[in-house]
Amino acid sequence: MIQKKICLLGASGVGKTSLVKQFVEGIFNEKYLTSIGVKVDKKIISLAEQQVQLMLWDIEGQDRYHVFQERYLRGAAAYIIVVDQTRTISLRQGIDIHTLARQSTNCPAILAVNKNDLPAAWRLDEDEYASLAPLFDLHFSTSAKTGEQVEAMFLAIAELLHGNKKNDITT
Amino acid sequence: MTSQLNHVLNAMDQLVLEVIDSKSGTVKLLGGDNDWVKALFPQLCPQQSFTISDNTPFLLDFLHDARQVWLGQNDARIRSGLWTEVTENKTELHLEAIAIKKQQKNFLVITNQLEEFQLQQHTKQLARELLLSNDRLCIQNEYLHSRLLSIFKQPPQQSALPTTLTKIIENAEFCVIITDNELTPLVENSAARRLFKEDKPFQIQPDKPIDIILKLMKNQLPEYDRILSTKAHWNGELCWMSPPATLKWLKISLYPVKTKLNEVENWIVFANDISTIKYLVQRNEQLALQDMLTELPNRFSFWQTLEKHITSGKNFYLLYIDINNFRRHNEFYGHDEGDKLLVECGKRIKSMIKGSDFIARIGGDEFAIILTDIDHRKACEIAIQRIIDNTKKPFATSKGETFTVSISIGAANFPNDAQTAEDLMKFIDLSAYNGKKNNKNTIQFYSQSMRDTSHQLIQLEHELRLAIQNNELELYLQPIVDLAKSTITKAEALIRWNHPTKGLIGPDKFIPVAEKSDLIIAMGEWVIQRTCQMVKKLTKLGYRIKISMNLSSAQVTDNSLFSYLHSCVEKYKVDPCLLEVEVTEGVLVDDYSVANKLLSKVRTIGMSVSVDDFGTGYSSLSYLKQLPLDFLKIDRSFINDIVTDDNDKAIVRAVIALAHNLNLCVIAEGVETKEQLHFLTDNSCNSVQGYLFSRPVQFKNFVELLKNQQINGTD
Repeated sequence: MIQKKICLLGASGVGKTSLVKQFVEGIFNEKYLTSIGVKVDKKIISLAEQQVQLMLWDIEGQDRYHVFQERYLRGAAAYIIVVDQTRTISLRQGIDIHTLARQSTNCPAILAVNKNDLPAAWRLDEDEYASLAPLFDLHFSTSAKTGEQVEAMFLAIAELLHGNKKNDITT
Repeated sequence: MTSQLNHVLNAMDQLVLEVIDSKSGTVKLLGGDNDWVKALFPQLCPQQSFTISDNTPFLLDFLHDARQVWLGQNDARIRSGLWTEVTENKTELHLEAIAIKKQQKNFLVITNQLEEFQLQQHTKQLARELLLSNDRLCIQNEYLHSRLLSIFKQPPQQSALPTTLTKIIENAEFCVIITDNELTPLVENSAARRLFKEDKPFQIQPDKPIDIILKLMKNQLPEYDRILSTKAHWNGELCWMSPPATLKWLKISLYPVKTKLNEVENWIVFANDISTIKYLVQRNEQLALQDMLTELPNRFSFWQTLEKHITSGKNFYLLYIDINNFRRHNEFYGHDEGDKLLVECGKRIKSMIKGSDFIARIGGDEFAIILTDIDHRKACEIAIQRIIDNTKKPFATSKGETFTVSISIGAANFPNDAQTAEDLMKFIDLSAYNGKKNNKNTIQFYSQSMRDTSHQLIQLEHELRLAIQNNELELYLQPIVDLAKSTITKAEALIRWNHPTKGLIGPDKFIPVAEKSDLIIAMGEWVIQRTCQMVKKLTKLGYRIKISMNLSSAQVTDNSLFSYLHSCVEKYKVDPCLLEVEVTEGVLVDDYSVANKLLSKVRTIGMSVSVDDFGTGYSSLSYLKQLPLDFLKIDRSFINDIVTDDNDKAIVRAVIALAHNLNLCVIAEGVETKEQLHFLTDNSCNSVQGYLFSRPVQFKNFVELLKNQQINGTD
């Protein structure tokens, strides 16, 4: 079976762990518990032709207490920049992390604007959207709480990566 | 491996594997057989080697780093960092791996780091909750502040002020107070009353929230008077102690609401109870006297130390350092880079002072230093110069971009300048505030004359406000001659002040005061109105002359500028093609996106746009291509020596060629001689402006110039 490594990156508190938990276990916990280090979860996705195992690297939030470590991106087939739509600053931090990540990999990058069940703190005008959109291969407005677009996002990533033999871990 | 050593490894929660084949990741157990080891590697048997597989994907990935160590020649080690593994029975293991090469032998050590994990999680949980609550607080404050301001700025007839305001304010989760200009409360929400409610059994008349806040500010902020007199906004933290039971940390924000004439109409005050956050900080940092970001002593530690020094009676100098344009830096590079700059700045300053001196971060971008064992000004100046020299060196962002900053330093001496902590702080605050004006690295020692200058500036601002009301301003026009037609086709509007006692005052004296005090907005609107009136009069007289108006940075960023411009065009029924806005290249670069939007709108209604003082500032060529522009005005400094200086000749030729390639017309400023005119004509410059043709003149004289030109033209 094909395995694909997907890294989840973003500032602390944006909901990286919650997205993985929602996708893998279908559960959501309101209480914020900060992640430490890395945790890898696996989930098999069935595509039309074959199955793909996603290895989801949930990486501790990058902030002043934990700097971005590019080695975690080694062998990644894609990475997801998660931002919190209730905190404008998390978008800026996400873009910064994306810029750093781009220095070590050219794999597809996905933007997940999470917490869409809550009111948004920012609204992009056309110019801003036009400058932001080309930075990412896919973008989604997700809610780890309601599950909106979570499954769809990982499925779309699997489909995007399907057929892209680069960075297959095992075949 | 002896059973005793195995016992020790188990006690240390460690597993030691000997690397058999580093390429395939084949290892053999040397010691450590706790239950978690068996759960992690169910296939593990003593004496039998096994290969690390994708059952433990993080560890498998770490082998890439480990091989660098194992295949090297020298003794070395590398750590994996913490990771979490979930075993088959759903237990979480928190682990760290260390790849070791020692005396040509390769080992892989895996440690169960449960305690370290829990400690880190506990600490970071508190720290991150703190970051998140701080973010939330800032968002709430910013939101409410901008909503209130937008409501205040609405014309009274459009505003549903009472109902909207009441709703917003009452629903706010934190204290909101709106006062009149005398700080008498007009509005106070229930959160304000809750926050300042005291548990005093015999209190008959409780203190008003605003009185408590002002008292705290007065007692704890030496800059209190300056904030009120300069109508500045302020936010920061204050401690409210009221025995027997009250001890609260408050985050206070104070904003003035000003009229167009820069007079305070209202003050808006927000207060949040941040005692919990403070408690978390103290618990987390364990040091209540340390600034979290820079790890330098904080404001309160500074006050304690300052009081101690004063009590000792020994001579010392107090310095106040402020990073110029820090807000702009923060907006340009982002807040993380701003934080990084503060940390680096603090380090650099600290490295330049003696161990016995004291440095603290006392505000957003402000540091205070106590220089001890210095009793004369020269020695203090040398110390300050060392600090400036070191902070002048380039800084780098995380992405490797380099930039420089300038700082303003205020200095005062104990006991010569002041004998109390409050006065010393007031004086150095005033000194740095004065030094900040020129945006360069400055040192300002406290002096009586500085105090006088500060009063003079306040006086000038007051007179300027009256000048707008009393119609003492006048718009002069300086002709711009089209070289192809040899006629005046345009004019630049230039403002002058007819002071009742001081006579005619040039813009260089009062525009900086207007810009500093926001009077520039009212003054700019007056210029727009007056220009429209002049264009209308000229049109009536039969002259189609375009008049250009200068826009300052504050006007470009003022949201209401375009609608005002548009309303004046309609009110005076002038052809917008006869109006032009002029902005300096500095404004274009600093406020690029705002300028772009404004200039595009201005051009949509038919007005033209010119770039003033071209060549003197940033001269970014990329904006020339991207921004909606019509004219470039070459600065007079290039024209002065154009006849004799080959460099200036080359620059002017190049600017003209560049502008023409971009379909822009060129105007040369400061043309004073015929030789300069010939050069510009020979090199296809489109228009010229300068004393050769006319100084800036009053409207009636400008009309005379046009008449004479007509007569000469018909001759």
